[in-house]
Amino acid sequence: MKLNRGKMLVDPPACASSDIAFTLIIFFLVCAAVQPETGMSQALPKTESQTEKRDQSQNLEVSITPSSIVLNGSPLNLENFTKRIAAELKKKTREADRIVVVKSAPDTPYPIWLGVSQAIDQAGGILTLELETEKTITVE
Amino acid sequence: MKLQRRKLTASVPSFAMGDIGFLLLIFFVILARSQDDSHIQWQPAKLDDIEMAAAPRATVSIDTGYKTYLDGKEISPDNLAAALTDVLADTPAGERNVFLKVHREAKATHFEPVIAAISEAGGDLVHILEPEEQNSQK
Repeated sequence: MKLNRGKMLVDPPACASSDIAFTLIIFFLVCAAVQPETGMSQALPKTESQTEKRDQSQNLEVSITPSSIVLNGSPLNLENFTKRIAAELKKKTREADRIVVVKSAPDTPYPIWLGVSQAIDQAGGILTLELETEKTITVE
Repeated sequence: MKLQRRKLTASVPSFAMGDIGFLLLIFFVILARSQDDSHIQWQPAKLDDIEMAAAPRATVSIDTGYKTYLDGKEISPDNLAAALTDVLADTPAGERNVFLKVHREAKATHFEPVIAAISEAGGDLVHILEPEEQNSQK
């Protein structure tokens, strides 16, 4: 007579399956929340509260409006601006001369501003913002 | 004659300790994320030639209503430089990354004072953007 052996398969306890599922959900949620972000780093010189006395005539000046980009007085589109700024900055040997002063119209959209700053950055320029400041003058 | 009652002991099953510990760990990790700004509504601008950004020390956001936030808390652009200086404190150079999340429709009047404040605080500015979709028909 043959004796039947006991089953050797061991199932994981069914009561733990909800714990396992919950842990897996949290694991994937955390993974999704900490996904890396992409962007563009930009080196900006530290803003000084005092006005520096330096020869600004050597610096390149860029004006941005919603419809145009003006480099030292010449209006350009982004493609031509990228070429011109690269050519202009190639001539500059001193780091101080590589400063590009950017002045934006108040309604300049962010994507246009980004395109210009990326072009300046890739050409090796140092972007400096020229902001409009408001002063209240009391007249007696 | 007194009959002794059977003692009923209620104990936490020891095989669940691993699960409990792991869940608590994740719970505290999520709580520790003080820079949570997931409630801010914004859409990133698109640009080609962008790279992966390193971990930030602080995050500044401008939402669809053009309000400014520092690490998820609303702040005036006038107070941003001082607040960022406190956050960055004595953080060594190279680890002073400040993420800037600007809604794609924002104008210079909204984002330029913020960029100036990050610059004033000595932060390393990183614009958070979305890669531009490449046109397959070239």
